[in-house]
Amino acid sequence: MADYTIAVAHLYGDLMNTYGDYGNIIALTYYAKQIDVDVDYQLVSLGDDFDADKYDFVLFGGGQDYEETIVAHDLQDKAIQVKQYIENDGPLLAVCGGFQLLGHYMMMADGTKVDGIGVMDHYTTNMHDPKLTVRNNERLTGNIVIKNNETGEEYHGFENHQGRTFLGESERALGTIVSGNGNNGMDQTEGVIYRNVYGSYFHGPIFTRNGNLAKRVLTTALTRKYPTIDWQSKLNAIPTETF
Amino acid sequence: MTLKNSLAKATAKSAYWLLHDVLHRGGTSLPGKLAVAIDPDILKSIQQDFDLVIVTGTNGKTLTTALITRVLEAGGHQVITNPSGSNMIQGITGTLVTSRVTSNNGKKPIAVLEVDEANVEKVSSAIKPRMFVLTNIFRDQMDRYGEIYTTYDKIVAGIRNAPQAVVLSNGDSPIFTRGDFPNERLYFGFNHVSPEDYQPSKAPTNTDGILSPTDDSVLHYDFITYANLGKYFSVTDQFARPNLRYQVTDVTKLTPKYSEFSIDNTPLRIEIGGLYNIYNALAAFAVGREFEVPARDIKAAFESNAQIFGRQEAINVDGKDVTIVLIKNPVGTNSVIDMMLTENDDFSLLALLNANYADGIDTSWIWDAEFEKLHESHLKAIATGGERYRDMQVRLKMAGFADQSVYEDLTKVVDAIKSLPTQKVYIAATYTAMLQLREQLRSAGYIKGGF
Repeated sequence: MADYTIAVAHLYGDLMNTYGDYGNIIALTYYAKQIDVDVDYQLVSLGDDFDADKYDFVLFGGGQDYEETIVAHDLQDKAIQVKQYIENDGPLLAVCGGFQLLGHYMMMADGTKVDGIGVMDHYTTNMHDPKLTVRNNERLTGNIVIKNNETGEEYHGFENHQGRTFLGESERALGTIVSGNGNNGMDQTEGVIYRNVYGSYFHGPIFTRNGNLAKRVLTTALTRKYPTIDWQSKLNAIPTETF
Repeated sequence: MTLKNSLAKATAKSAYWLLHDVLHRGGTSLPGKLAVAIDPDILKSIQQDFDLVIVTGTNGKTLTTALITRVLEAGGHQVITNPSGSNMIQGITGTLVTSRVTSNNGKKPIAVLEVDEANVEKVSSAIKPRMFVLTNIFRDQMDRYGEIYTTYDKIVAGIRNAPQAVVLSNGDSPIFTRGDFPNERLYFGFNHVSPEDYQPSKAPTNTDGILSPTDDSVLHYDFITYANLGKYFSVTDQFARPNLRYQVTDVTKLTPKYSEFSIDNTPLRIEIGGLYNIYNALAAFAVGREFEVPARDIKAAFESNAQIFGRQEAINVDGKDVTIVLIKNPVGTNSVIDMMLTENDDFSLLALLNANYADGIDTSWIWDAEFEKLHESHLKAIATGGERYRDMQVRLKMAGFADQSVYEDLTKVVDAIKSLPTQKVYIAATYTAMLQLREQLRSAGYIKGGF
């Protein structure tokens, strides 16, 4: 037993885990273990309560369209607690469908509108939206590199999405496109940062290929729970996987 | 037969003869194209010549089709079948119009066709099958957007063309209880666990296709064989796995090279490892019984055709016993890992990852395969390589295998094999990595010829 533990909730991990999203938890655990921190993994799925005060990190991954509509419906029952978690600066990683459902709404490829929980200010149209001026009617698929201009960090991944996400006023992008398409193929943004929420279309999964981001989020989670310890120095002392 | 379709058939046969016997190229697609060009209704005109069995699903089609063919032949039927890879409409047309069908024992010839999921509708609109065999539907190469429910909808569209056909499907896969069609449904599956040994629980987190068709609640299982296959039930209503017409009643022995088990209390052995291959055998057994082939003849068909299982290639490299297996998606890779868990000798693993189109260009699936389970095996050493060696290296490092030799360049792969410390070596490679590996083994003289 390590001296320190973080509690991790995997939101709908049994339904929204289509592109190796669980790998993000494998990566987080890999770094945590090296600084003597345990990860207590819990699945929070259909009909389960999500208690905002119980968790130190939340992963909300992407899924197939069918599962995403089922999840969207159930998520409404957890919306108040998810909002509280986010507004209390809880660290959260949302990928693809998870990223979309935290916003106002998302349009499926067939034109079905699925309501998100609107705890964040973005919305997602589909690839057939007449507003699109770039690559309409095409999925955005391929390798992608972005740069976060505040930290200077570069992130590498693979994107594959039909939805086009547009960020709200209160939101910053996770990064600016170096190569690839990003949120909508038009405004050079990829992903989102809002408080301690990181959203992205990256598969990879993002924490496995971008150890710098995994360590950043782990530092935030640990500092929030154990504020008197210098977690950043501990994590700086171990090697970072970036490729 | 009209003049037009006689001409179409004759043209296709001459094209096939030219390609196959003169030019020595194994094409069935061009003859099919020519026949359809001359007579678009060519398939309809030949359907009275035989009964059609369509085999479809994402995994296991080829071996299942080959097994069904042997089983029906053992039952005295003349069987037409398509070569693996000719499973789209053109190749199927080519196969059918260039085959000779005659029966001299009063039993109707049977065409057993492996059909790509998206081509089922086209085939069944031309020829009404007597039976559909559905193996499984797993997520595969998502960069090509293959969601499981979309794939199943395509198959169902094909089934709806032929309401008289029997639908024989894998009852352990919940998705096959879905779909609106009037056909008779029969199921095969596993019932090898005694009720007192049931361990009711949900599937592990990382499992697809676990929603109940009645109310989209998450299914529970009394036992799971692999992935989302098993004896499932709903906790919100009465929905449960349907009754099985054909079942695996006992699993006696699982090894990397062969499996022993019983179907409906007939003891059987197949010369290939992997639980998933028992499902293929079960499907073939079920089809055989539906066509009234006696169980003892099916058993004999499995045992006398050992060579058709030879898809896991075994190679000797300076005394090392090397087995090459293809990996391409999480379910398949987990099955390979499960097979390695049945290895009783110490072994090494060489994992080779590429991400070209034929491999799937998104490598994220490696994180859904449970390499962590290898800690329970006799694995002694790990090496990684391929064009995406870094992805594989980090995947295995994060699975707790820090000590790896890494080969960025497959030109050194033969040396890599020789330097592994164990006599047994497993190589798990994606498709283009396997081609590159085979080229290295060929130029070093360890194998002959092409694929």
